Amino acid sequence: MSPLLEVRDLTAQFARDGVPATVVKGISFDIAPGESVGFVGESGCGKSVTARAIMRLAPEGSSVAWGGRIGFRGQDLLTLSEREMRDIRGRRIAMVFQDPMASLNPVMSVGAQIDDILRRHTGLSRKAARQRTIELLGLVGIRDPAIRADDFPHQFSGGMRQRVLIAIAVSCQPDLLIADEPTTALDVTVQAQILRLLNRLRRELGMALMLITHDFGVIAGMVERVNVMHGGEIVEAGPIDQLFAAPTHPYTRALLAAVPRLDGARPGG
Amino acid sequence: MMRMVALRLALTLPILLGVSMVAFALMRALPGDFAQASAGTTTISVEALDQIRRNLGLDRPIWAQYLAWLGNALQGDLGLSFATRRPVLGELVPRFLVTAELTLIAGLMALTLGTCTGLASARLRGRVDWIVRGWNSLLLAVPNFVVATLIVLLAGLYFPTIGIFTYVPFAEDPVANVVSLLLPALSLALTVSVTISENTRAAVLEVSSQDYVMVARAKGLTASAVLRDYLVRNALTPVITVTGLQMAALLGGSILIETIFTIPGMGQYLFESVTTRDYPAIQGIVLVAASVVLLVNVAVDIAYARVDARVSYD
Repeated sequence: MSPLLEVRDLTAQFARDGVPATVVKGISFDIAPGESVGFVGESGCGKSVTARAIMRLAPEGSSVAWGGRIGFRGQDLLTLSEREMRDIRGRRIAMVFQDPMASLNPVMSVGAQIDDILRRHTGLSRKAARQRTIELLGLVGIRDPAIRADDFPHQFSGGMRQRVLIAIAVSCQPDLLIADEPTTALDVTVQAQILRLLNRLRRELGMALMLITHDFGVIAGMVERVNVMHGGEIVEAGPIDQLFAAPTHPYTRALLAAVPRLDGARPGG
Repeated sequence: MMRMVALRLALTLPILLGVSMVAFALMRALPGDFAQASAGTTTISVEALDQIRRNLGLDRPIWAQYLAWLGNALQGDLGLSFATRRPVLGELVPRFLVTAELTLIAGLMALTLGTCTGLASARLRGRVDWIVRGWNSLLLAVPNFVVATLIVLLAGLYFPTIGIFTYVPFAEDPVANVVSLLLPALSLALTVSVTISENTRAAVLEVSSQDYVMVARAKGLTASAVLRDYLVRNALTPVITVTGLQMAALLGGSILIETIFTIPGMGQYLFESVTTRDYPAIQGIVLVAASVVLLVNVAVDIAYARVDARVSYD
């Protein structure tokens, strides 16, 4: 099957005080339709910048120079105009961010924040969009969605807010969902619920999932393949079982050793 | 919400009481009084001065004068002006309406100018940012009476056909009335717009770096939708606050501006009354001005709750 996303020699260069810093150093990878791929690495390794590159979202107030090629459904995302890119964002490729507490607009009801993406990409009427919003809130496990749609973000817990953000991300049934550390800001029991939700939605909606995390514990059971990133490069890639059983790169081994184990034993020890 | 408004309005009463006390005491602390001021430089006998003071009740102790004034004021009687011997309320109301109109026009000008320059400064950055901030620093450094004098001077030099000191009453010709207030309002608005501009700029910059703006962009929303629903709506709260606070600055500024442009408003009235030590008139003006500022503050609180659902007064 031809890949949904085909990244070749991707580079990302930031200018800090006039001095260019290369954060992503020519990485290549594929994601097939419906496939789930994990990106693991410590903070600053370039995994979030890679995700931002696919969305073509530069952090506010900074300039990034992207290089290489990001093939998606037959076009190179890096050559599209901003206008064409806006039709892809949220519609074909959607993203869930790290901090649910800061990711919702505090002065808009959560329903309105789902309505606006639906109306932007689907052309639904105001009434039909609200109907779909309520369905989506129910789909991500929010009780009494018709009532809660009119509530504001501060009336939701962190886990509930991340569910709302997932509802926003999947609202237009994207081909690819990028989840950038979606559970890092949540406590452990909620983490498991959010991961289960992502997994279920991926299967129900047939989306590909790009799951970015620093924690091998998070991707176990979630993804089929893993790319390990370090210093802006992919240092090891392969099926997750193989990587867990026989990591070849020393950095992968170090990351695996950092996952706490229930029996207290150390891997390889 | 209704309870909050009622409570806030009730709280303005003790504040007004305090303001009237302070104003009363401060005026009495000024050297000279109405008797001397009205006598001017002419030599007048001490007996004649005492006679005037007795007629006006100025010979009684200050607290007795204040209580008498307060008693009447609570019944809606602000007393007679020393200078004209006519009821202060009747003198004040038409002048207040003129000032209210001037302040409203100036407020709208300042709000438009301030939010537009602040927004442009924060969104476009670079050269626009430099120009706006330079302009703001310049305006902040120059007092509004200097700006007013410059406007009078420049308008007089280059557009001698437009009347600068020709105030037209609203009842006579509404359009000409508004036009005649434009230059004075601009002199008032320029200084006030700086505060609004700088606060808008800071608020928009702060909001721009928030995660939810990134989420909005990741949704594929158009730039104008992100600006309207995410940036502006969140940056609005601090801007509403400073705009409300600047109401007091506008009222204070109108004293000088109305005097310079000879507009028969409350500011000019206050200037004249202070010069002649017309105590009842001053008390009346202070009371009205303080009420306006307090009412605007209550309005700002209501606006908060309308804009931001997190604000609750229950």
